[in-house]
Amino acid sequence: MSEIQKSSAAASAPQGIDVGRLEKELAANWQNSAGGAEDSGVMRVCVLNLIIYATHKEDRAKLDELLDEVTAHVPSRALVLIADRDSAEARLEAYVSMRCQTESRGGAKKVCGEQVTIVAAGAAVDAAASAIEPLVVPDVPVFLWWKDIPHEEDKLFNRLVELTDRVVIDSLVFDKPHEDMKRLAQIVAGRRQFMLASDLNWGRLTSWRNLIASFWDVPDYRTHLDALDDVIVEYDPPDVATGEIAAQALLVAGWLASALKWEPTGEFAREGKSARWVMRAGERKLNVILRAADERQGCDGLVATLKLKCGATSAEFYVGVNEGWTKLETSARIGGAQTVGRVVSYEAKSEGQRLSRELNILSRDEVYEGAVACVGRLIEVLQKS
Amino acid sequence: MSATVLENPLRTGMRLERTAEPCVVVIFGATGDLTKRKLVPALYRLVQERLVPAEFAIVGAARTELSSEEFRANMKEAVAQFSEAKSVDDEVWASFAQGLHYLKVDIGTNEDYVKLGAKLDEIDQERGTQGNRVFYLSVAPSLYAEAVRQLGQSGLAKPKEGRKGWVRVIIEKPFGTDLQSAQALNHDIHQHLDESQIYRIDHYLGKETVQNLLVFRFANGIYEPLWNRQYIDHVQITNAETVGVEGRGGYYEKAGVVRDMLQNHVFQVLSLVAMEPPASLNSESVRDEKIKAMTAVRPFTPERIRTECVRGQYGAGSINGKQVPGYREEEGVAPGSATETFAMLTMYFDNWRWSGVPFYIRSGKRLAKRVTEIAIQFKDAPHKLFGSEMMEQMSPNQLIIRVQPDEGITMRVAAKVPGQVTRIRDVNMDFRYGASFGVQLAEAYERLLLDCILGDPTLYARTDMTERGWEIVMPLLEEWAAAKAEAPFPNYEAGTWGPQATHDLLERTGRRWRRP
Repeated sequence: MSEIQKSSAAASAPQGIDVGRLEKELAANWQNSAGGAEDSGVMRVCVLNLIIYATHKEDRAKLDELLDEVTAHVPSRALVLIADRDSAEARLEAYVSMRCQTESRGGAKKVCGEQVTIVAAGAAVDAAASAIEPLVVPDVPVFLWWKDIPHEEDKLFNRLVELTDRVVIDSLVFDKPHEDMKRLAQIVAGRRQFMLASDLNWGRLTSWRNLIASFWDVPDYRTHLDALDDVIVEYDPPDVATGEIAAQALLVAGWLASALKWEPTGEFAREGKSARWVMRAGERKLNVILRAADERQGCDGLVATLKLKCGATSAEFYVGVNEGWTKLETSARIGGAQTVGRVVSYEAKSEGQRLSRELNILSRDEVYEGAVACVGRLIEVLQKS
Repeated sequence: MSATVLENPLRTGMRLERTAEPCVVVIFGATGDLTKRKLVPALYRLVQERLVPAEFAIVGAARTELSSEEFRANMKEAVAQFSEAKSVDDEVWASFAQGLHYLKVDIGTNEDYVKLGAKLDEIDQERGTQGNRVFYLSVAPSLYAEAVRQLGQSGLAKPKEGRKGWVRVIIEKPFGTDLQSAQALNHDIHQHLDESQIYRIDHYLGKETVQNLLVFRFANGIYEPLWNRQYIDHVQITNAETVGVEGRGGYYEKAGVVRDMLQNHVFQVLSLVAMEPPASLNSESVRDEKIKAMTAVRPFTPERIRTECVRGQYGAGSINGKQVPGYREEEGVAPGSATETFAMLTMYFDNWRWSGVPFYIRSGKRLAKRVTEIAIQFKDAPHKLFGSEMMEQMSPNQLIIRVQPDEGITMRVAAKVPGQVTRIRDVNMDFRYGASFGVQLAEAYERLLLDCILGDPTLYARTDMTERGWEIVMPLLEEWAAAKAEAPFPNYEAGTWGPQATHDLLERTGRRWRRP
């Protein structure tokens, strides 16, 4: 159960934000929540700072719901920056609020996180990072959730990246997947020394990657992995410009190529709804085919099936999502005979749950970085052809 | 902690990194309570979490005549009832159930093991489980030796000659009823199994906070320097249950609290508190240090038992507002029973680190609250700078490690109450798993089953540890058995914190029990 207490006074100043006043308001909120009682029943928990950048077009009610979920999983200080870059008027204002969850097991005790919302417009947007920095709680990690497409020339993005331990993006929302993924590859490679990246879209692939990998936990199947001829990924077309391949499908291809050390040969073909790259795996060649499937509602840009085929051993490995998008199914066919498969739940996690999961990861995800770098190379080949 | 992680290039950097080889888990006692409440729900979750591969299979084995279909239906109901989700998806279950089999097996009948062997070969063929087996003995303790003997004689205790694969056997507690029977059981099972194949389960070690003890002590630089006689005044371990014997009066009459709880669960926790830092997290290093610590436990003499230990049995009382009967009124309990339902021990480790530091341990049934916790009480500040008029509360620093429920760690420190005058009171710095990580903690059985499948015995008890546990408590059991007639039972009311003598004992040393 969640409740939000907003401070009545909004700290607003055209020249900047009174950080001291915001901190005082937060302290007052805590005192009010405690109600002056001996044993307050309110527990302030802050395991990290979460800076959220969103544009003014963002649905604020949805963002509130999401923060409720995040607070339940990872109580934190949320520093929400709502930016209206196109505004003619430079404006910066802020208010504080508290977000409390009644502990499910403990009963009355409330676990509370705090939130500072900064609304920035026009020329004030670029300066907003300087208002955020003093509000960051020391000694706990700082995450930036960039709810937009990252641009390497963006001053605010770069400044916030410097402040943070980890940047979270969601490549599912990229409106030009080819260009945006290529740019992401450049950002990840260029800032490798000081930026750790998380991608909610990559998190959505965890179940897929695990199921794909599990085929080769069986030592007897290992030989097929080195003899693959075709990798076919079907995806629900993203809701963007026609012809663009879904970022998630690109990530699957990038992951396989990076993990199995395949490199694009430069040979590429478009065949109807399919895009085919010829890859080199040591002395051998194989095809990586990304194919747009028939559209299904609410699944834009998501991977639907994956097949790995090996002609020499007549082996085929399959992972697919069911019609209702609720279960994942695996099967393997070796030498024409069906082997053990399984059906597992495909958790329809909310954005808040996905974000919470990413907020528990502090180490570098080298596999993701490798996959993104590989996607960058695949797109270069595609754009040259 | 060591684990078998297969070399699979697609597993590199995977968030779910502990994935096991295909194997079959054979549960002896498959129609019992543990199977439906804990084991199958835990295995179902491991499959759901993709921590075991699709080829994974389970064979339920018991004396009851059942078809695999009936067994599957029973287990589906059990998973729905006892799993965290409280529901089962039909399609997902159907996939899981393909690997779920049942075979009628009488523990003492050799032919049944031949049939079991044939069934396992068939599963290897069908599912590619490659001769990897876990045998889980969830049967009456009197049948452990016989089950292992039969496994050995039927050739199931080792991988088939010339074939790869591994065989592991999980044995439930209690491991023996005294030192002699534990030694005999160890001797018997070692006739057929190497120590590396034996996994003596103690589900307390699967609890997150118990595992966190190792992390807390040895991953933080600030606690270990304080973790000794210089700074610690004493340690209290409380293992309290609110339940009575729950229809197991017959078993409990023979066991009592020392056999049921102290000798296994509590001693495992105690060894983690008292052990020296291991050289590595390798299972043998950790277990070596645990046994080294327990070897230093000061023996109980009749004098020490009289003056430093307390036994108890509950009478009628009330718990959570509900009237409950006394132990002697419970089903299966003799009206004049002298079985202990409560015990408090004062233990000492005669070693460099802990010399002179008492470890007060209490465990009992029908106590005021269900709680298991370790409280480390530090010594007072060497000089009392602040006078008593400033002290609203005056208690020493304590570090409390809660094992259950509400797992977490609390540090109690003194702080100034805000205001114009200096007043000091205690405040708690709380770490709760639920609040800090916001995750559903895995059931202890999930963790332990997965460890066994991965071949990591760190959280399982080794031969020497089980025998040492018995060695420590034998004088106590013998002394109390000899003086049954003098037992002043019942001597505590259900819903309290045990006999008054436990409080008196600490008070005589100038200490007091914490109220958990």
